[in-house]
Amino acid sequence: MKNLHVVGQSVERPDAYDKVTGGKGYPINVRLPGMLHGKMLRSPYAHARIVAIDASRAEKLPGVKAVLLPRDVPQLKFCPVYFVPVQAPSMVQDFDVMNGDIVRYVGQPVAAVAATSVEIAEAALDLIDVEYEPLAAVFDPEAAMQEGAPQLHADAPRNIAKNPSFEFGDIEKGFAEADHVFEGVYQTQRAHTCYMEPRVCVVDMDRQDNITIHVTTQHIFGTREKLAFALGIPESKVKVVKAPYIGGGFGGKLELTAMEPVAALLSKKTGRPVRIEQTRQEDFITTTRNPIKVYLKTGVKKDGTFTARYAKSVLDCGAHATHGSEVIMVHGAFGVFFSYHAPHQKWEGYTVYTNNMIGGGYRGYGAPQGSFAVESQIDEICAKLGLDPIETRLKNSRKQGEPHPFNPAFTLGSYGLADCLKQGAEKIGWAAARSSPKDAGAKKRGIGLAIHPVWVSGCMGFPDIYEHSGAIIKINRDGTADLATAAMDIGSGQITTLCQIAAEELGLPAGAVRMSSQADTDNVPFDAPTHASRVTYSAGNAVKAAAAAAKKRLFEVAATLMEASPDDLEVSAGRVSVKGAPGRSVSVAEVAQRAESPFVQMTAEGPKPTTMEEKGTIIGLASLSPKSNPPPCAAQFVEVEVDTETGEVKVLRMVYAHDIGRTINPKAAEGQVEGGFQQGMGYALMENIQFDPETGSCLTSDFLDYKLPTAMEMPRQMDSIFIESDEPTGPFGAKSLGECCVITPAPAIANAIYDAIGVRFTTLPITPERILAGLGKL
Amino acid sequence: MKQMISLEVNGEAHELAVEKNATLLRVLRDQLGLNGPKRGCDSGGCGCCTVHVDGQAVYSCMCYALSYDGASITTAEGLAVDGELHPLQTSFIEAGAVQCGYCTCGMMMAAKQLLDECPRPDEEQIRQGISGNLCRCTGYAKIVEAVKMASER
Repeated sequence: MKNLHVVGQSVERPDAYDKVTGGKGYPINVRLPGMLHGKMLRSPYAHARIVAIDASRAEKLPGVKAVLLPRDVPQLKFCPVYFVPVQAPSMVQDFDVMNGDIVRYVGQPVAAVAATSVEIAEAALDLIDVEYEPLAAVFDPEAAMQEGAPQLHADAPRNIAKNPSFEFGDIEKGFAEADHVFEGVYQTQRAHTCYMEPRVCVVDMDRQDNITIHVTTQHIFGTREKLAFALGIPESKVKVVKAPYIGGGFGGKLELTAMEPVAALLSKKTGRPVRIEQTRQEDFITTTRNPIKVYLKTGVKKDGTFTARYAKSVLDCGAHATHGSEVIMVHGAFGVFFSYHAPHQKWEGYTVYTNNMIGGGYRGYGAPQGSFAVESQIDEICAKLGLDPIETRLKNSRKQGEPHPFNPAFTLGSYGLADCLKQGAEKIGWAAARSSPKDAGAKKRGIGLAIHPVWVSGCMGFPDIYEHSGAIIKINRDGTADLATAAMDIGSGQITTLCQIAAEELGLPAGAVRMSSQADTDNVPFDAPTHASRVTYSAGNAVKAAAAAAKKRLFEVAATLMEASPDDLEVSAGRVSVKGAPGRSVSVAEVAQRAESPFVQMTAEGPKPTTMEEKGTIIGLASLSPKSNPPPCAAQFVEVEVDTETGEVKVLRMVYAHDIGRTINPKAAEGQVEGGFQQGMGYALMENIQFDPETGSCLTSDFLDYKLPTAMEMPRQMDSIFIESDEPTGPFGAKSLGECCVITPAPAIANAIYDAIGVRFTTLPITPERILAGLGKL
Repeated sequence: MKQMISLEVNGEAHELAVEKNATLLRVLRDQLGLNGPKRGCDSGGCGCCTVHVDGQAVYSCMCYALSYDGASITTAEGLAVDGELHPLQTSFIEAGAVQCGYCTCGMMMAAKQLLDECPRPDEEQIRQGISGNLCRCTGYAKIVEAVKMASER
């Protein structure tokens, strides 16, 4: 790799200054003149028929400007997930904004109000009378698959929304060839992304159906497409304003919900902008990571070689399939099937309707649920057969240069899993810790590991999933550049890393490229969402291509100034020079000024024409799909301390080694890993959205009941290792990082707990209560 | 029925007509147009709304504005003096403690209370001091580092 100047530096985030001085750029701050406040009335029943709705009392309340009932809302079915076309054949079209006949979960919107204040809108909801006819509800997906269970959707027999499978080899033969067969059942729970900025939108819709919307979204073009469809209008009518940033997403703001179309219709009805800000209670029941139960069976030879792997996964998608029809695929492929080699493999998945809340996207997207099963069971195998957990994993994993398991047209061109394991083990002192004797006291220490062997850098190659990105770069007369893209910064630093990639390609210093703070779906090219660990790799490639195009034009103009051939020029630290003759140089600012100067210039000798061909703003643009989908991989090590008297588990240390191709910004990368570990650790030990088993109503609707790690619970020592394997198709060698770090904490912690106390936990979260029960103390 | 209260906010005096059930958070955001105090949960669970009232850090979502007539309030907007950032602000930027930034202002106000009371906290005191504030992006490591850096400035 050639010498890099900006890529690889911990450049300060350009958005940090605004964020520490108040933070102007969030959608929650948008306030428009004349704005009204919207609120949605939600069903108290998990399953019921709507007999009648009477809103006459609400309409009379002073301050109420409009009431919206199901009959006012287009009754259309669609898939609200942003990253696929709205009627993608591989997804399920079962979502509707406000169903007038039936409710299928507690919290389903049945009516809405716009009023002059939030308080009046809330008071008006109490005045809407809805008559329900309660129906039998089902909350367990395996019960929902039984004959005779309540049917949620007419076209889904046994409530199965989707039933994908993969298979190769002969699974029975594979198990027959095994010396040992291991079977286990692994159950994961509902966890919330817990983005800190609630879902909020401000929508202005006129009587000609022109819409401007400010919204917490991970995908402005997804919001445009799905909102237009939900309202039955052309998508060019919808302008989605790109917020400079949103207060977290983590996959939780990756689909249209009722909020946006309801606000739009209330705006159209009243002729005024309408704002809906969800309460935290509403956010908790809007989307969640889908719980998955995995039945996993592995056949192994005495030396640990896998002969056969079989899994059945049952995903509870709740009342509508939405993300659940894709999460099951990613789970099956990247959570279970592709993790390890085996000559005979079979997987079958079930996405099942229940009367629970709707699932959604969440960092890792099906892989954490798979990894918990797969990585737990490998340790069970190693413990039983006396095998080394690192060697056994390496023995069955993929190697650099192999075809990509998902798409044989792609190659594992960079693959540093062995280095991740080796360097991580050294850093945490694996060998010594595993062989040291256990503590005699009540507090037992243990060490564990888990790997994630194959993950994604975007969705290139996946059926029905958008993957192209676009960028526009404009070089300014002061030698800086503006970058405009639709890629959202959801907190992980996309603004910073994309600007670094552009600066590196343009030969400008760090900080000389600025992300435009004004963009919307009218004026920037399409980009797929900020999801699937894709922005650094996919949007990064588009930004690099746009910068290369701007650089080409820069050299053409500079060539006329310098009387050289464009092919002989190079640019570095903001100066264009002739290769091999650094003395012959001009600044990028001079070139840009020349390009934008008047054609005829007044000189001491009189008016003098310049060159016609050099005139015009120096811009570059690109809109393209990436060439591949290179897998990042990771190995994680944790040390825990289990208090056998209280059941409390403390994570003392963690070491996380990732192969991410190239580190664009080390500090930002560390931040991703440390924050990802927090989410994974919460998933392992405490986080769980709980529901009343009788009524289906949410019992954990604020942060007092839904526990996530604070600074006190986090390990005091967290070390990140980045393996730079130099991905040939990535921008400056980079692939992705965002999700691997969330996938492995749960099995790594479960494996460390086993090492500490010799008890295997197969249900998450591993709470103190479960620890004590596992020790036979409850 | 609104009632008048006076508040000094970031050194500026305000006379405000407030609803009796309006929280301090709502008054600061909706009536004074401040962005620093943020609503994350409205139930005292996340700390995004943390401000100082007469030098004490509080969750402004848990305070009725009427109870604070005559109080002096500081929000993150009031941390910088004459345009010069507070050490906590520069440290948060330099340590990489800011990701989505939604918790940042509340987190700094909690940290400021800690540093006001304990100018040289050790790591455990820092963690304790910010444990009433949630962050979902950073895993807190760089926030702890930022507070440490600020305490040394």
